[in-house]
Amino acid sequence: MAANERRPGTQARNLPAAIRHPVTWLCFAAAVCASVSAADMPPGPGFAEAGAPFLQKYCNDCHGDSAPEAELSLTVFRDDASVVKQSDRWKTVLGMVETGGMPPEGESQPTADERGAFVRAVRSVFERAAREGKPDPGRVTMRRLNKTEYRNTIRDLIGVDFDPTEDFPSDDVGHGFDNIGDVLTMSPVLMERYLAAAESIVQRAFAVQPTAPDKQNSAGAANPGATSRQRLLACAADAPQAEQTREVLRRFATRAYRRPATDDEVERLAGLAESAIRGGQSWEAGLQLAFQAVLCSPKFLFRAELDEHPDSPEVRPLDESQLASRLSYFLWNSLPDEALTELAAQGQLRANLDAQVQRMLQDPKAQSLVDSFAIQWLQLKRLDSFTPDPQRFPRFSSRLRDAMLEETKRFFAAVVREDRSIVELLDADFTFLNERLARHYGIVDTEGTRAGQKPVRPGGQPIRGEDFVRVSLADDERGGLLTQASVLTVSSNPTRTSPVKRGRWVLEQILGTPPPPPPPNVPLLPEDKQSELTGSLRQRFEQHRSNPVCANCHARMDPIGFAFENYDAVGAYRTKDGVFDIDPSGQLPDGRSFQSWAELKQILTDQKDLFARCLAEKMLIYALGRGLEFYDQPALDRIVAALQSDNYRFSTLVREIAHSDPFQKRRG
Amino acid sequence: MPKHTRISRRTVLRGLGVAVSLPWLESMGPLTAWADASPRSATAPNRMAFLYVPNGINMADWTPAAEGADFDLPPTLQPLAAVRDRVLVLTGLTADKARPNGDGGGDHARALSAFLTGAQPRKTDGTDIRAGISVDQVAAARIGDQTWLPSLEIGCEAGSMAGNCDSGYSCVYSSTMSWRSATQPLPKEVNPKAVFERMFSTAPSAARAERDARRKSVLDFVREDSRDLASRLGASDRRKLDEYFSSLRDVEQRIAKSAQSPALPADGYPAPGGIPPEYEPHLRLMCDLVVLAFQADVTRVCTFVLANEGSNRSYKFIEVREGHHELSHHGNDPAKKDKLRQINTFHVRQLAYLLEKLRSIPEGDGTLLDHAMLAYGSGNSDGNAHNHNNLPILLAGGGCGTLQSGRHVRYPDETPLTNLWLAMLNRLSVEATQLGDSTGVLPGLAG
Repeated sequence: MAANERRPGTQARNLPAAIRHPVTWLCFAAAVCASVSAADMPPGPGFAEAGAPFLQKYCNDCHGDSAPEAELSLTVFRDDASVVKQSDRWKTVLGMVETGGMPPEGESQPTADERGAFVRAVRSVFERAAREGKPDPGRVTMRRLNKTEYRNTIRDLIGVDFDPTEDFPSDDVGHGFDNIGDVLTMSPVLMERYLAAAESIVQRAFAVQPTAPDKQNSAGAANPGATSRQRLLACAADAPQAEQTREVLRRFATRAYRRPATDDEVERLAGLAESAIRGGQSWEAGLQLAFQAVLCSPKFLFRAELDEHPDSPEVRPLDESQLASRLSYFLWNSLPDEALTELAAQGQLRANLDAQVQRMLQDPKAQSLVDSFAIQWLQLKRLDSFTPDPQRFPRFSSRLRDAMLEETKRFFAAVVREDRSIVELLDADFTFLNERLARHYGIVDTEGTRAGQKPVRPGGQPIRGEDFVRVSLADDERGGLLTQASVLTVSSNPTRTSPVKRGRWVLEQILGTPPPPPPPNVPLLPEDKQSELTGSLRQRFEQHRSNPVCANCHARMDPIGFAFENYDAVGAYRTKDGVFDIDPSGQLPDGRSFQSWAELKQILTDQKDLFARCLAEKMLIYALGRGLEFYDQPALDRIVAALQSDNYRFSTLVREIAHSDPFQKRRG
Repeated sequence: MPKHTRISRRTVLRGLGVAVSLPWLESMGPLTAWADASPRSATAPNRMAFLYVPNGINMADWTPAAEGADFDLPPTLQPLAAVRDRVLVLTGLTADKARPNGDGGGDHARALSAFLTGAQPRKTDGTDIRAGISVDQVAAARIGDQTWLPSLEIGCEAGSMAGNCDSGYSCVYSSTMSWRSATQPLPKEVNPKAVFERMFSTAPSAARAERDARRKSVLDFVREDSRDLASRLGASDRRKLDEYFSSLRDVEQRIAKSAQSPALPADGYPAPGGIPPEYEPHLRLMCDLVVLAFQADVTRVCTFVLANEGSNRSYKFIEVREGHHELSHHGNDPAKKDKLRQINTFHVRQLAYLLEKLRSIPEGDGTLLDHAMLAYGSGNSDGNAHNHNNLPILLAGGGCGTLQSGRHVRYPDETPLTNLWLAMLNRLSVEATQLGDSTGVLPGLAG
């Protein structure tokens, strides 16, 4: 949806290849920079040397000491320490300089190199501060349960598996994910839906018909044959009713609030139930009302991390219930099960964190890492609404679309389950296909034999029907996420491929080095240039790039995108685009060249650490529910270092995130 | 329920869930509470609706050449021929806060979130979302208590898609038109069934009363039980809790006045099904619901996002197979501009459908259309240039006799769009002197 394809004539201001996101600061000088861990970077010159002269030359005339423009004086910034003190202010300043908003028109303008050097200098100030200074775990805004989390939480809390969120408004996305605290808002509509959902949930839980025991969660573990109603109401049979009420409600509220319910809370809930009972309702009906109240409480709807000193800047560890909750929503999109809750109650969760992470990853509920994390990371939610031109792509159908998505899900799930190297996400010799998708790929059997060709390997079973089977791949045409039809389709336009979108997609989602945002107010293409734009898509883009103001950004995006030109807009392999032969070769801005996708793939997989850092960044955002800041750099450094020393195993990535300071600690 | 006897049940059953109009609307007559109270003699209330189309317009085919009453409808506005006398074409309005103003790219995200707010959206991919209160919510806060729903927010594309939607702006900006406050965007409903059920309770009144009583006790409880929560939450958490409590109050107010909830137009009224699979039937169904909402006086304030800003939807049902956003960057290619005009015209056709529907329903001394103001337009002007001055804006309806329509009015370039919103607020008896970047009340609407 982004305005990411610029027409010829696009004004690019020749900006540095600067990067919006702080995490990618160190790599923004090159499109695909060499494989170095950020921690290995030599310390750059200080602000006094690398930043202050720029301010002096271009800024301080207007932003000086007396009556500065926008009441912003920049003369106080002379060294690293003064800059670090006002990080919020510097975010704005950087944005202005980076996007060309400042200096304003009519004032003397820095060259692109000067701009780039200044932005780099300021960012390295913050990088250094983060690495050398006191660790800062940041602050997560309490998160409302999103639709997926709400549904899963109800499933595991009540033991009824249906979708109570069908009528909920959709959750908004921030930083690429739908679980970001600041973006998950409340509205009157949603409040109404919560009330209605609580009613239907409790109604279902207490339905006379026994509901099927839930298959994959721990709610029924204690008594697997019991109905939801029996489990919810279980209590000491011979105790007085008042005690039974409290026992039932304490258990329910403790699970629902994901922390021990306090005595006061239990008393208040019991009071609600008992007033209904006094009003003539049955015991069960009274409890149902209290359950509904719990399900509408902000203590349930939000993942609040309560604190006696919420605004204290002191860094401290989360308590173990809070940690259990973060962990279970990270890996399961749901509340902690009994094992986690029990460990947290005993204060033993941290001591057993690695074992718990391993256990959780092997639980079927870890499918949420695929369905929520991977699908959003790869931006595949858009596939749902993608409608390729049926005349050009008659083979595309909703079933093919479903198969594309299923391939990616099964593939990612296999990497998780088999604890493979994350590098295999870029280059793997296996995938999962059904007949429809296999035909789309021109593959006929489980050994990857091509249609009409002799088997490379013996023993292949034909791929038949709607069921998916694991397929060994025999050549470079497919293998890894980047040549899966889902990814190739979602980064295309309805009528044709989009090398720009594909290039940008790789830079953003795989390498974590997104191109700068497109400049505003794109001027129209002069008419005379228009007439020259003929030829193949590549030729047209090359004319486009020959325009110097477009060249900078497109030199990064286009070569990568064109390497995928052998795959059409729905991901089918081709050797011609219309009458034109496909030419997938290209050269990256750093000079490395490639003849084919296979060679580019080699270049990408050689940069394991860049990819590892990108994936770690995305997953940390997802795990925390907030965007990353410069002070998260040291945590990322450590995660990447751990991956390096452990063959880039998937579980290492998850485990290191679970151990990281931003995940484990908090401040006010 | 004698007041509903004018409605033909035969026709009611077919209207919703399919592509046809609501034929019963013509035969129903006024249903509104005010009309019931003093039929025919009462003055009908004024209403406001805002309809948004993304990616700008091919302006050469939109702007009439002549000013005043004697203008020819340009190609894109042709579908409005039958209601031409009820439409004002307003040229020269600007959404300055949709411009970068130092924030770089992101014209799509800003175009929608600045459209009704006149506020510069904060450039963030998720942290500290902020725009400004939108004109519809100013109205809802002031006159919302007079109707069952203070306002209605609907659309045909759900909120989030994936990733950051536009150059460093969270998707919330390119999918949200209504802002209850600077920090509380209001999600829109895209499911006609859910919209309908919000407008009209389908439960029998006894069951509803019992349900409301339970809900009230639940809400009373959570309010009391959460009283001490704020003291153990940090500042940004407390803001979320405030959102929660403000939403809770809104629901409480509705429960308190549930005795006056709008009645179902007829017994056995079928709620619409889910979301129609095709776009045009979906749009029409939403238009029908706007008509119904105004007719039954469910609300007097409505926002309707026809497609999210930056939408790359393909319009293959009108033989346009490319994505809308892709086409809007036409690079002056005549073939692309032609297709863009087809999309623009398609959207205007939906507006025409809505206006004709409103005009077909008698109300008081005129029609529903006489007692409504419908603004239609985009926060982008030319989608190719991403400019935000000279916006495509229409104002339709009679506004209870306060608009002299059937004209093309040209304003000085850079006239804030928010001045128009102020003019509409005033016509709704909401006195307001400032909204976002407004500089005054837009003149010239009454002739």
